[in-house]
Amino acid sequence: MEKGKNKQMKLLDFAGKYKGFTILGCILSGISAILTIIPFICIWQVVREIFRVMPNISEAQNLAFYGWLALLFSVVSILVYFGALMCTHKAAFRVARNMRSRMLHHIVKLPLGYFDAQGSGKLRRIIDESSGQTESFLAHQLPDLTGAYVTPIAMLVLLLAFDWRLGLISILPMGIGFFFMSKMAGPSSKDKMKEYQNSLEDMNNEAVEYVRGIPVVKTFQQSVFSFKTFHDSILRYKKWVVEYTISFRVPMTFFTVSINAIFAFLIPAGILLIASAVNVQAFLLDFIFYILFTPFCTVMLTRILFSSENSMLAKDALNRVESILSEKTLEEPQNPKTPKDASISFEHVSFSYAGAKSKAINDVSFFIPAGATVALVGPSGGGKTTAASLIPRFWDVDSGKISIGGIDVKNISTSVLMDYVSFVFQDTHLFKASLLENIRSSKPNASTEEVMKAAKAAQCEEIFTKMPNGIDTVVGTKGSYLSGGEAQRISLARAILKDAPIVLLDEATAFADPENEHQIQLAFKELTKGKTVLMIAHRLSTIRNADCIMVMKDGEIVEQGLHNELIERADIYAKMWKDYQSSISWKVANSQIAFEKGVAYNG
Amino acid sequence: MVRYFRKLFALSEQGAKDLVKAIIACTITDISLMVPVGLIFLLLSEFVAPFMGGVQVESNLWFYLGLCVLALAIIGIFHYIQYNATFLASYKESANKRILLAEKLRKIPLSFFGKRDLSDLTTTIMADCAGLETAFSHYIPQLIGSVLSILICSIGLFSMDWRMSIALFWVVPVAFIITAGGKNQQKKVNQIYKQSQIERADVIQECIETVREIKANNQTENYLAKLDKQLANDEKIQMKAELNTAKFVVSAQMVLRIGITTVVLVGSKLLLNQDIDFLTFLVFLIAASRIFDPLSGSLINLAAIFSAMLQIERMKKIEEHSIQTGREKVGYNGYDIIFDNVGFSYNDGEAVLRNVSFVAKQGEITALVGPSGGGKSTAAKLAARFWDINKGSITLGGTDISAVEPEALLSNYSIVFQDVVLFNNTVMENIRLGKRGATDEEVLAAAKNAQCDDFICNMPKGYQTVIGENGSSLSGGERQRISIARALLKNAPVILLDEATASLDVENETLVQAAISELVKNKTVLVIAHRMRTIAGADKIVVLENGKVAEQGTHDFLVDKRGLYNKLWSIQQRASEWSL
Repeated sequence: MEKGKNKQMKLLDFAGKYKGFTILGCILSGISAILTIIPFICIWQVVREIFRVMPNISEAQNLAFYGWLALLFSVVSILVYFGALMCTHKAAFRVARNMRSRMLHHIVKLPLGYFDAQGSGKLRRIIDESSGQTESFLAHQLPDLTGAYVTPIAMLVLLLAFDWRLGLISILPMGIGFFFMSKMAGPSSKDKMKEYQNSLEDMNNEAVEYVRGIPVVKTFQQSVFSFKTFHDSILRYKKWVVEYTISFRVPMTFFTVSINAIFAFLIPAGILLIASAVNVQAFLLDFIFYILFTPFCTVMLTRILFSSENSMLAKDALNRVESILSEKTLEEPQNPKTPKDASISFEHVSFSYAGAKSKAINDVSFFIPAGATVALVGPSGGGKTTAASLIPRFWDVDSGKISIGGIDVKNISTSVLMDYVSFVFQDTHLFKASLLENIRSSKPNASTEEVMKAAKAAQCEEIFTKMPNGIDTVVGTKGSYLSGGEAQRISLARAILKDAPIVLLDEATAFADPENEHQIQLAFKELTKGKTVLMIAHRLSTIRNADCIMVMKDGEIVEQGLHNELIERADIYAKMWKDYQSSISWKVANSQIAFEKGVAYNG
Repeated sequence: MVRYFRKLFALSEQGAKDLVKAIIACTITDISLMVPVGLIFLLLSEFVAPFMGGVQVESNLWFYLGLCVLALAIIGIFHYIQYNATFLASYKESANKRILLAEKLRKIPLSFFGKRDLSDLTTTIMADCAGLETAFSHYIPQLIGSVLSILICSIGLFSMDWRMSIALFWVVPVAFIITAGGKNQQKKVNQIYKQSQIERADVIQECIETVREIKANNQTENYLAKLDKQLANDEKIQMKAELNTAKFVVSAQMVLRIGITTVVLVGSKLLLNQDIDFLTFLVFLIAASRIFDPLSGSLINLAAIFSAMLQIERMKKIEEHSIQTGREKVGYNGYDIIFDNVGFSYNDGEAVLRNVSFVAKQGEITALVGPSGGGKSTAAKLAARFWDINKGSITLGGTDISAVEPEALLSNYSIVFQDVVLFNNTVMENIRLGKRGATDEEVLAAAKNAQCDDFICNMPKGYQTVIGENGSSLSGGERQRISIARALLKNAPVILLDEATASLDVENETLVQAAISELVKNKTVLVIAHRMRTIAGADKIVVLENGKVAEQGTHDFLVDKRGLYNKLWSIQQRASEWSL
């Protein structure tokens, strides 16, 4: 219980300044619960008045007055309750918003490896939906709980005013109801709740995967089967949710019966007590009061029917949120330093991905002087992209040191580090914003002219003319999907605009379209002028003039030197070059056109 | 009735039947909750009798005790039944619904998927079904149940005294009308809210997916500021939607309470005129103190149904989307693909292909080249009926493909696309996707041919390694090789290669190309490649520009022609000489 309280406080901490709204809401809810009792007293007064004058009804007074008073207090109590809920909603929405915001602020500081391990569907669900799962508890159940606790207290007070024996006997079934409710919140329910939440999460992941996979799966006539995986996760979820629900079936039934059972206690008590009543009329009046009033208690208790479920849901959601917030972020340096120049050095750098058998980078050392162009080549999976990703600290090295301008990248503040490095990736993600904003994202204060200039240099103008709203077209909206080559040009324009002293190019021309490949290459020339360049390329012709070519294999640098030197060594690079020469002449061949490996087409 | 519900709430046949059952269960449960009122009435009439000039009656304790226990048993039993009929049936229904939607999605033309965001679609399947779940388990049966049970009670009360009944019940229709009156405004605000929810999910998804770009562009702060703004806005809209719904419901709830006053006023008047006796008045007072709370609940349910209807509408939209149909069993006379005057546009109306005609012969390689945006990829996808064309015809082996069931048609195609989709499953299963029921040996052979073996064996668990959501742990080249392995495994008579080797490194490209060369023997091959050198040896080259066939022929013929192809070719020759 103590632990549960802590969780609720933790939850409220997310409300920030709005915490007070929750408290105010709960108080108002309690007041409303008390106010709700008054109309019952008014109705009872009507009965009492009639009793008093019977059988001369015409002598009855104030009947209309009590009628209007009942209405007045009903309305006021509804309004107060409305106010209570508005307060708690305000705070609840703020909690969800702050949770989302804090998580988003947190995840961007995490190493990128985290995202590979998690899956975007799962992360999105926690950030978006788990936060929302606290809403119902904070907005409804918390104030209703206050109301529900106030009601028995009010009843105890009323005991003094009316027959205490009838009062006690009315409270009895409510106590039994609470007992069954507490049973529902037991540890086994918590476990089931967890299973049920897990299967829900699982189903959500499968849904993302299923929807994404449909086009592919169809081409292999297996939509039925990929469908089956999703189908299974749906059924698994159904199984858990049903099991979870069934676990509540009996206690819930008993709960409902108990809180509706007040009459079954009142009736026999009434029969027994009226026999020995001194003043039958007074007793009858008290009896009628309880008859009128107790259904209200049932209503109040029904309001909290789902509170235990929702409070568990909220706690579970909070745990998920905290699991993200407790992930360790890349550390920001205490005393950040600024690099002296744009040189890059690797000193005995090793790195392995979580769970991988072998090291992705194994004791790699090299130095790239400022302004030099260095190429990383080698088979895929050899660690080229990983090595490049370590420079902007997408991951932190396991051992060794990477420095820019003589300063360990861990001692450079993230924003300075990112100002130093431009990165053009193999696969480019665009933001769902206009093309203009997409390019401008690398330099937010750039004028439209600057953006246009960079776009022109990156050969993007032709893309704009194709789009419905030119450069203002929002990516991803109707008819505005970009091809891989086009996206890459946008990303190139970003890098040109950013004008950082270090440029990392990872297979940056892989998707270039033939008719503008040459122009893109010119754009690269523009981009890399006077910069320190580390480029990864499969097409060796593009890197043969590099100041240094490093061949990476199995996480290690196995050869380095100038193109001619490496050719003369007649080892790995030389063989790759030979393969490359033959591959550029490759053509799709069939039985009619003999496939001749190693014979160059057209020279 | 079943049919009406089915249509209104987009339920399955079984679901609609279950809903009717749930409503009946709720109604009976609600009525069972009124049994005690009857008992109380009986007892009170005995208690009050002496005050009204009647005879004192000794109430029989055991008689009442027995009835009380019976009443509780009835409440318990019906509640239990209701619990099953609502909750359990609703989970069954939402599971069925999700399955139905998923089933539907796989039959919708693929064009549908480009238009809608991933998160939007997933929201429909997940959240909207959950919305249906709650509507089914709570709102609908409870609303109808309480309305029906109150209706039944009101018949009893009317028979007792119609004037008092009117004084009690007149507020009910008024309150419902007020709530229903808010429907349109509520719908509008809810739509804005739902939209905001979808956008919120989108930006969160985008943030997760583009975190690398955000970091690389040093945009963390700006981006988060933008996100925070969106979240703040979302919060505002959410509050507004809440307030808006509450506004109507709360007004209606207050109107309901006027009923208490009218009962007192009319009752005392009638009592005074001796039109009713005290007991009748008491019964109506008790009724007035009891029925308005459950009715308030019904009003909330009504408002909730209105907002659930929006979700149901969205589901309906998917369900009603046209699907591609056709015959499953079709005979093909060879596997030539013929485009005859094909015209095609995406939904926005701009033509992507215009009067495109060409023949891709079996046993030959046909290459599609041209500037990007010229329609190459679209043409290749149309050949596999990813979309239905607007004009002309496409035939495979003489059969119009628009008459063939899409998946049956696709069984004739091996396709390697530029964008590879992988599944959160083992590598083995990801490749086996190519041919259902393939043995492990077959999968391994295909993987070896596609040069996958090396990198797979390097993974922690080899072929049994689970590769993460959409293969997030694999590089572009590795993904592409897995995709090629799938195609090799499938070994279908028609082969579509769209930039199949673009992101491979040299060594692997050479080897993979060798494997593909094996694959294409005696097949109908349609190739798209940006790198002209890879298709220079094709039997036929079709040059597409702005959706039209600019020229076609062999490499030599087209180079001699000195048209667009020759231009592209010479630019590329220049580019391949380039170096940084």
